Amino acid sequence: MTLGSFLLRKTAVAILTMLTVSFLIFLAFEVNVADVAVKVLGQYSTPDQRTAWLAENGYYDPFVIRYLRWLGGFVTGDWGLSTFFRVPITSIVFPRLGASALLAGGALLVIVVFGLGLGILAGMRAGSLLDRVISVFSVITTSIPDFASAVFLSGIFVFWLGLLPGASTMISGFSLRELILPVLVLGLYSMGYLARITRASMVEVMGTHYIRTARLKGANPARIVLRHAMRNALITPVTVIMLQLPWLLSGVIVIEVFYAYKGFGSLLYDAALNQDIYLVEACAMVSVLVVVLSQILSDLIYGWLNPRISLGAKA
Amino acid sequence: MKILLPYLKKPLVVIGVALSGGWLLVAFLAPILAPYDPLETLQPLARPMATGADGQLFVLGTDMLGRDILSRLIWGARTVVIYSTLATLTAYAFGMLFGLIAGYMGGRIDAALSFAANVVLSFPVLVLYIVIIVLIGASPLNIVIAVTFSSAPAIFRIVRGITMDVASRDYVAAAITQGESTWRILLVDILPNTTGPLAVDFCLRLGYTAITIGTLGFLGLGLPPPTPDWGGMVNEGRAMAIAFPHLVIFPCIAISSLTLGLSLLADGLREVNEAKERQA
Amino acid sequence: MTQPILHVRDLSVALPKGADRPFAVEGVTLEVNPAEILCIVGESGSGKSVLTATLMGAAPRGLRVARGQALMSDEDLLRVSERRWRDIRGKDIGMIFQEPMASLNPALTVAQQIEEVFELHSDLPRAERQRRARALVEEMHLPEPDRILRSYPHQLSGGQCQRVVIAMALAMSPRLLIADEPTTALDVTTQAQVLKLIRELRDHHGHGIIFITHDLGVVADIADRIAVMRQGQIVEIGSAEQVLKSPAHDYTKALIAAVPSLEPHDRPPAPAGASALRVDALNHSYGTKQVLHDIEIDLSPGRVLSIVGESGSGKSTIARNLIRLTDPSSGRVVVAGQEMLALKGGALRKMRRKIQMVFQDPFGSLNPRRKVGPMIARAAMLSGASRAEAIARTKDLLELVGLQRSAYDRRPAAFSGGQRQRIGIARALAMQPDVLIADESVSALDVSVQAQVLDLLADLQSRLSLAVVFITHDLRVAAQISDEIIVLSKGHVVERGPASAVLSAPQHPYTRDLLAAAPGRGVF
Repeated sequence: MTLGSFLLRKTAVAILTMLTVSFLIFLAFEVNVADVAVKVLGQYSTPDQRTAWLAENGYYDPFVIRYLRWLGGFVTGDWGLSTFFRVPITSIVFPRLGASALLAGGALLVIVVFGLGLGILAGMRAGSLLDRVISVFSVITTSIPDFASAVFLSGIFVFWLGLLPGASTMISGFSLRELILPVLVLGLYSMGYLARITRASMVEVMGTHYIRTARLKGANPARIVLRHAMRNALITPVTVIMLQLPWLLSGVIVIEVFYAYKGFGSLLYDAALNQDIYLVEACAMVSVLVVVLSQILSDLIYGWLNPRISLGAKA
Repeated sequence: MKILLPYLKKPLVVIGVALSGGWLLVAFLAPILAPYDPLETLQPLARPMATGADGQLFVLGTDMLGRDILSRLIWGARTVVIYSTLATLTAYAFGMLFGLIAGYMGGRIDAALSFAANVVLSFPVLVLYIVIIVLIGASPLNIVIAVTFSSAPAIFRIVRGITMDVASRDYVAAAITQGESTWRILLVDILPNTTGPLAVDFCLRLGYTAITIGTLGFLGLGLPPPTPDWGGMVNEGRAMAIAFPHLVIFPCIAISSLTLGLSLLADGLREVNEAKERQA
Repeated sequence: MTQPILHVRDLSVALPKGADRPFAVEGVTLEVNPAEILCIVGESGSGKSVLTATLMGAAPRGLRVARGQALMSDEDLLRVSERRWRDIRGKDIGMIFQEPMASLNPALTVAQQIEEVFELHSDLPRAERQRRARALVEEMHLPEPDRILRSYPHQLSGGQCQRVVIAMALAMSPRLLIADEPTTALDVTTQAQVLKLIRELRDHHGHGIIFITHDLGVVADIADRIAVMRQGQIVEIGSAEQVLKSPAHDYTKALIAAVPSLEPHDRPPAPAGASALRVDALNHSYGTKQVLHDIEIDLSPGRVLSIVGESGSGKSTIARNLIRLTDPSSGRVVVAGQEMLALKGGALRKMRRKIQMVFQDPFGSLNPRRKVGPMIARAAMLSGASRAEAIARTKDLLELVGLQRSAYDRRPAAFSGGQRQRIGIARALAMQPDVLIADESVSALDVSVQAQVLDLLADLQSRLSLAVVFITHDLRVAAQISDEIIVLSKGHVVERGPASAVLSAPQHPYTRDLLAAAPGRGVF
């Protein structure tokens, strides 16, 4: 399968997924128009106000028409007004998304460097002391909920050692120090997870016949790991990195709420608490879009790394 | 006992069993173990090991409403054990049913079910919860529904994969050529041979569910107060955590130790499974 | 007499405590001379692979050299440091393995992997390394050397991969070459070519070669000397002529006796009358690729038909079509007068009992969770027997296939490969079928066990007057059991006829090639 047709097929599936998701979201939030009116105008609005508002905004049109109109608006960048923030949704979502991307990017760096590194070290010699220490560490990081690691790490670095600030509001402009704890906590789970995947992959590769061949050619351990094992062992973990984005998006919500960081996660959270349904719809759509795109990227990376697989054969 | 023996040889597994079994026991014996009523106002913001006016001892202190934290933790164990187990079991019921069908039947049924699962899985977990909770509100039942809805597709995928693998074995082919009915093949030849890897996943998922329920509690979207709930305790205590760290530290330790226990247990199960496979 | 390249003295390798015997290899003494192929032959578990791994300093974890020496130019290989090993491996000792594809790194090209040996063991400049790698590839008789050098392993066939592995092993022209079952994973015609190549290497370069195999046919083709291993010990060692023609040890005699002969038995011609199985114009396609072309079969009750072919010939697809695990694209399959392909649902389920299959893999064909007795009894009940009848029939069948009655309450894990195949046969027979399909049913078994299972099948077949379709890649096995033979190549039947005619006077060139490639012709 060529790259073009592979991308084409993946994109088609992605579009189909997005369409389905958008329909479900619209169905869930806006099928009941009376509900929409209450949520937009507030509980203290009068029935007359609501009816007038619904009529004015075309809510008495058939459902399918309303959906298509909503979808059309979405695609063309007209995402409506936030009822809570009283501004166009696009003007608030994108800056927040950028702020979260910073957070997630930092976390991704931690994940890649430490996750892959620790995984390779542990998997080089299965059962060694180093392996066991790293394995226990990664079990611990993948077992503790985000909010609990935030509490623990803040306890240590903020209250006990007094090294870092306990919040990340960035009120007085960008601050790298404020970013450290949120990035660390956000990266912790996926880092442990990636280390486990990398270790398992490395252990498997180290047990293959071709590693034995390399040994019996007279290659030294460093050469075996670097030249023969690593490239094959990293195929799965590198693919998995992209699939961690959905996890990071979940984590972002908790971390941003905990550290009062003004990002996409806290935006979705505020929208949810305040029943700002248009904003929730938009945030949900954006989240799913990010996930779908990361899946395509992950497939591409897999095909690029693995000479055995012609693109698409796996899917 | 003989079956359990290989599990108990590894210290980490023993720790896992002790932690998760310990919390299970605590949940079961909550009425006996808890020194006070978890909802009763005794004395606000007592420090750990402080003694109250009436001579009560608050081992882990009290919260701002004066409720004993140890008692709330103990009753909270019951909350988390009950709802995690219930939610995971329902998710498993749906996930396994559809996973077995999709994995064995293949073709269009599989394509349709897999697409549906992928649609749900394309939501980041917490986004999905928040959407569901915004729609249906936070209540014990709704939390179980939300967890089922978001976990079942992941379970579906795992069960489907394992089923496809088992279904390609010759003993399934043999059963087909004997004229065995599809349901019997699923129940006798496939289902029992999927349990090893699924037991591992079940433990892990129980942990995830506990984390999820805790996280929802932390975000204030979980079980409505005053139900004793670990995540909720962290949320309530967060504002005063600088002055009174015991408000948040102990619930965090509680939930972390439970989920760590479940992870270690899952690891132990996985190792034993792999050892069994190597032997065969 | 020249100096031996390798001299192994009284080598013992201890197994960990709790194993079924104390030593994996016990008291082995042997020597390998220049320009000599020493075959070490043994069945699974004989310790032959542990022996060679130990000689390469790569004994599996948990095993320990208990005593002995392995001298190569006065250096004891058993007491060499890991650093020194890295010099020896690839330079003084080369190794060839059973799984050629898996032995090559999937992420590196053939050129990179061959040139690496020179990088490790010489100071040759890059251009010279490339030149030598190309020369090696040519010497291995690989077609289009430049394309091969640029290729990744997955782009080559199994036989080509094995030649690349051999090229790598020979790069530094090591004195000793160790080959562990190097042709077992290959088709017979490819195997014959690789064996020929190895003989050339011995003759032209004077390598000393240790060749491990379980296949006495291969041994007969290639060995100068033979060592027979059993349970970790060498029970007999001597020149090929001597060991094969006048074996001294009983075990060697038994092994030789178990090799199926290529001479077919005389069989009566097919009786007239209704056929048990008739296949008309069977075609099968995967996507646009047609894998079976107009297959015709006509088999009478009480007769055995072998379908012989190499991997990819489509023989297993025929089996799966016959038992309707997959549906053919077109054609007719008539069992006991009933057209099978038209049936659906309940009617199909009822007819299925008429045609049963014994599978290839003794470890994958029995549900590990079920006890053997109830498993067989269930088959009997599905064929219409009452519960009591089914249990009685199961007990009879267990005895008939040579198992203890106590097998009833055990699970498959308690049985060896050969015993599991017997259970598989009992399960198939419990349905009292008219037609039995055996898909490579003995190819995963050791030769002595294989002979027993073959005897059992032949015996049951004549006693129950079964029609048997026997699918195999092994002409010797086919010769032993068949009345008729079909030779399949790339989905086409290229030759068919009575076993004696096909084997003694083959008409089609492909059949002749197959026969010529059968290892050990002229000896067995």
